[in-house]
Amino acid sequence: MIRLGYRLQYFVQTAWRGLRSSLLTSGVSVLTIAVALGLMGGFGLLVLNMQGLLDRFGEDLQVSVYLEADLSKERTQELDATLKSVEGVRHVEYISPEQALQHFLSVAGTHAGLIEGLDHNPLPASFVLTLAPEKRTKQDMAIVVESLQGLPGIEDLVYGADWIEGYTRAIGFVRWLAAGLGGVLVFATVMIVANTIRLAVYARRDEIEILSLVGASRIFVSVPFLLEGMLQGLLGGLLALAMLYAAFRLALPEIAHGLQLLVGLAAPSFLSSGDMLLLVACGAGLGCFGSLLALIGGYRH
Amino acid sequence: MIRMYGVSMSYLASTYALRDVSLDVGKGEFVFLTGSSGAGKTTLLKLLFAAERSTEGQIIIRGRNIARMRGAAIPELRRHVGVVFQDFKLLNRRTVEENVSVALQVRGEAPRIVRAKAFQMLKQVGLQNRRHDYPLSLSGGEQQRVAIARALVNDPEILLSDEPTGNLDPDLTLEIMDLLVQASTRGTTVLVATHEHGLLSRYGKRVIHLEHGRIARDVPAHDVST
Repeated sequence: MIRLGYRLQYFVQTAWRGLRSSLLTSGVSVLTIAVALGLMGGFGLLVLNMQGLLDRFGEDLQVSVYLEADLSKERTQELDATLKSVEGVRHVEYISPEQALQHFLSVAGTHAGLIEGLDHNPLPASFVLTLAPEKRTKQDMAIVVESLQGLPGIEDLVYGADWIEGYTRAIGFVRWLAAGLGGVLVFATVMIVANTIRLAVYARRDEIEILSLVGASRIFVSVPFLLEGMLQGLLGGLLALAMLYAAFRLALPEIAHGLQLLVGLAAPSFLSSGDMLLLVACGAGLGCFGSLLALIGGYRH
Repeated sequence: MIRMYGVSMSYLASTYALRDVSLDVGKGEFVFLTGSSGAGKTTLLKLLFAAERSTEGQIIIRGRNIARMRGAAIPELRRHVGVVFQDFKLLNRRTVEENVSVALQVRGEAPRIVRAKAFQMLKQVGLQNRRHDYPLSLSGGEQQRVAIARALVNDPEILLSDEPTGNLDPDLTLEIMDLLVQASTRGTTVLVATHEHGLLSRYGKRVIHLEHGRIARDVPAHDVST
């Protein structure tokens, strides 16, 4: 255990020495990782904010259950309980005919005159169902609606199938775009780190040979390079985070209007502390993986 | 200490670097390997620290046949076999002390012990005052002394040396040879490949002469004190 500690000390010192001895190539590598991670982080930031907006739209994905006129209070309560027990329904709200009329008058504007001549309220009572986020697909909504059709006391069921489809497609598109662009950037970053470490391995091949001659195992030779890659990734991740935050804070007032169009009226939010940690950890992981690829290639040769 | 039985080494099917070599070297023995270029001296040394694998035969070191040793076991073997080369093979970006220390660090020795042993070893080769210098600021003889210090700092059972004085002038040659002989008197088995015939008569040690990959002569040590 103690020997492991001494070795660890040696590994860290050697990795740091390696990083310092090739400042230019290491610097380029750190910068490239920072740019790649910055792009990934920036895109992630956009996706997070768009996802927030889409979730808010999702709240409006509702099923309106119109009730028969003069439905008894008991039957209405029974229906309320039935609707709440349906799988996928998160929230049930009862809208009385009076509330429906008030809402109509508030949004109808100049069309309010349509019901002015009537001596009674023509609007029926209804239940408005909000679905759980994972059930906001066209198929799931159809299943919910199908389970309600034919229930005694229900006059009509209304839901925005087209809107649901558009909503689902938009989320899917954003996710695919994130995955695709993320995949390309991860691949590019790994290749850049792998090539930087490969150069370092090549530049220090004499050192590797000498270490091997004095009895160093492959692990002993490799760990400093892995740490070096990890350190580059870590620094790249931190730099990316700093660039992203600076861009977010400095550029926000300039692009606020455009962002509003893109992500809605809600104030754009920066990455959470967990996301920031993930970004830096991603950098370290990518650096380490790139080094591993370089070392595997090096040993093959 | 070292036993070789019918060892052959061929790079191509019909080109042998070593052919049917058998020898036995005892603990603390000092042996010169001689022969013209391509006779097989370097190949023989490389087989002894598993830098090359023989195609036939057995090589027994520390009770194990290293000719068939797993790759993962080689580092452990090399911690008991010091190697010195004609071109020194020093880490030019590390100080003299760090160059010697690295042989101890691979074993996971404590930094305090590493510093003490490295200092002691550098004192033995007369370089304790240059321990903070870098190899390229040293003379050829001094660099070779650093290489010997690195090879000996682990107190190895075997020391292999391939033309250790090939790049040095006559005075430095004797200085280096004296260090190698001292190591053998302390119990380390030493094999030195050389083409400098003057050394053979001066030291009177056992000489194994190779020709075309075979042992042509094996001359035992003789007294040269008179």
